[in-house]
Amino acid sequence: MSRKYSITICDGPTCLHKKSKELESAIEQCLKEHALTDKVRINLSGCLGMCGKGPILIVKPGYTIYGSVTLGDVAEIIEKHIIKKKPVARLAIEEDHLYNRFFRIFGDVNFFGKQLRIVLRNCGIIDPESIDDYLSVRGYEALAYVLTQMKPLDVVEEVKKSGLRGRGGAGFPTGIKWQLTAREKNSEKFVICNADEGDPGAFMDRSTIEGDPHSVIEGMCVGGYAVGAQKGFIYIRAEYPLAIKRLEKAIADAKAEGFLGDKIMGSDFSFDIEIRLGAGAFVCGEETALIHSIEGHRGMPRPRPPYPSVQGVFNKPTLINNVETWANIPVIILDGAEWFKSIGTEKSKGTKVFALAGKIKNTGLIEVPMGITLRSIIYDIGGGIPNNKKFKALQTGGPSGGCLSEEYLDTKIDYESLAKVGSIMGSGGMIVLDEDTCMVNIAKFFLEFTENESCGKCAPCREGTKRMLEILTRITEGKGEEGDINKLQRLGKLIQKASLCGLGQSAPNPVLSTLKNFRSEYEEHIKEKKCRAKVCSTLLGYEISEKCIGCTACKKVCPTGAIAGIQKSLHVIDQSKCIRCGACFEACKFNAIKRI
Amino acid sequence: MLTPLETVKKKRAEAINRIVGKGYLSTKRVYVGMATCEIAAGSKDVMEVFQTAIKNGLTDVYLSQKGCAGRCNLEPTVEVIEEGLVPVKYGRVTRDMAHQIIERHLKKGEIIEEWVIR
Repeated sequence: MSRKYSITICDGPTCLHKKSKELESAIEQCLKEHALTDKVRINLSGCLGMCGKGPILIVKPGYTIYGSVTLGDVAEIIEKHIIKKKPVARLAIEEDHLYNRFFRIFGDVNFFGKQLRIVLRNCGIIDPESIDDYLSVRGYEALAYVLTQMKPLDVVEEVKKSGLRGRGGAGFPTGIKWQLTAREKNSEKFVICNADEGDPGAFMDRSTIEGDPHSVIEGMCVGGYAVGAQKGFIYIRAEYPLAIKRLEKAIADAKAEGFLGDKIMGSDFSFDIEIRLGAGAFVCGEETALIHSIEGHRGMPRPRPPYPSVQGVFNKPTLINNVETWANIPVIILDGAEWFKSIGTEKSKGTKVFALAGKIKNTGLIEVPMGITLRSIIYDIGGGIPNNKKFKALQTGGPSGGCLSEEYLDTKIDYESLAKVGSIMGSGGMIVLDEDTCMVNIAKFFLEFTENESCGKCAPCREGTKRMLEILTRITEGKGEEGDINKLQRLGKLIQKASLCGLGQSAPNPVLSTLKNFRSEYEEHIKEKKCRAKVCSTLLGYEISEKCIGCTACKKVCPTGAIAGIQKSLHVIDQSKCIRCGACFEACKFNAIKRI
Repeated sequence: MLTPLETVKKKRAEAINRIVGKGYLSTKRVYVGMATCEIAAGSKDVMEVFQTAIKNGLTDVYLSQKGCAGRCNLEPTVEVIEEGLVPVKYGRVTRDMAHQIIERHLKKGEIIEEWVIR
């Protein structure tokens, strides 16, 4: 198959409304007439972010974007552009936006087609260690633009207008945060980039920094200018050595080119950035704990107010945002708050990066517009569940989030709708679970994590998570008691209400959401001592089937001598002696031992 | 004196000149994924194959690294971009495959279809 040409049709909701489906069949028809079906590939893409000019077609090579295409234009585009190799100037639109740069290279792959990339605009496109590469894609233009054309308060207004909300998980409106810091009267202020990414299975921030460190630095400079800060900190875990190395190089390069330091690009604005390494405590992702850690104290949260915007690092007003939030800023400045606002849902604007992992075909890092359904992420981008297994649950938000069952798959992604169904947006971990996953065990796994990471300052979190974990462990070991579910629920709600910081307030979420959506599995574990996913090993029994050839391998490994049988004849397990360790199951080479 | 906006535009022009000076306008541009995830999957080996080939006289190729594009299960990835053609993306590239990409794709212009990411 010759891969010379491809035509991409925008399949976003606005373009669909403007008859992009009819366009698709017209193009197919026209290609057939010219016998070009083998030479031109047709792709569908998710919203390309150019809704005002829809329906949109992109023809490659050449990457010509055609806007407001009607059915009558199809023949002309194919005859002129593809056959005569002359783009149709009348319909072509010039775009020099920052978002979706990946589309030139990856737009013909289904995995990328449904995405809209703002934060990850340069990831996988440019050399992250070259400031020249970043400059060539309009790097530092947003900073230069605000320094030339905008007053600090205008920048705050622009961010407010964009509707951007904190991407660290809680979703606090970023513009309001900027405004609160900007209005403080203090000659010394700070900005912080929170890169303390700690959720199991999440790697959005690491990839953003490793793929495009300058965009975070530029975002911070703009933030510093807007709120009147002179210094920024990037708080990043020491366990991300490559990200740190690239940040260090990026900061040094930016200083050498005059984008950081004294009197940036000849203006009156001076700003510097310092990297602070975290030792990997989960609680340090919480802003007040992070601030303590930067100051050199033990990473523990404190009650708010006063909020960091009033009293932050070294008791100075501090603006603290997540990596992803910062990386959005240059796009909002250059492509405009109006455009940014047009992406997403009513209350959640823009895009969100997710780390897609677990039982899914295409694991990876994705960025999708808010408002896309969970189903679309799992099946269109993720490619569905491998090995013909059945979907069971989607875990979002890591140890602070919850598990959603199949019935919630048509939920549109935004902060409110995810919270409504019992999970959270979180920082962007997304783990797909299939029928082989035990929901009680998964809740236990996340609680083990938070119990471990609890800083111990407040009792509800320190003691509460421990007690909850004890109950869960008991249930998975077949020692669950009547009333355990009620105890878990009561304890969970109490921890949510009484804990000092976000870690404790959200720690019971995995348990409470699985109790809500998968209650029957808990009941089976407790009453019937059964684990339907066959994960909780002490609840399983083993049985030898007809396939047994009498090799004695299982008999040899059984630690309690529960297996009887002579060579070359069917073996039998004495269930009263079996301790359910599973050693025989591992040892059998003939698939003769079954879990029951 | 230049305004910041004029400064950045001037710097951009200089940067583009430097990139072109490094051979950006070569017939083929090769990008190897070099984020933590890609390196863990073995992309350093792949990068080395291309670097060695260039050292040993492979010409008309612009080699660069890039961050993670998001295809975790298909890493290491390599893109070959040629003006006027749809970019080609290879997944799960090994040392051996990198040698073949050089011999077949870069030298002879053959797209190795079975390794292409769709």
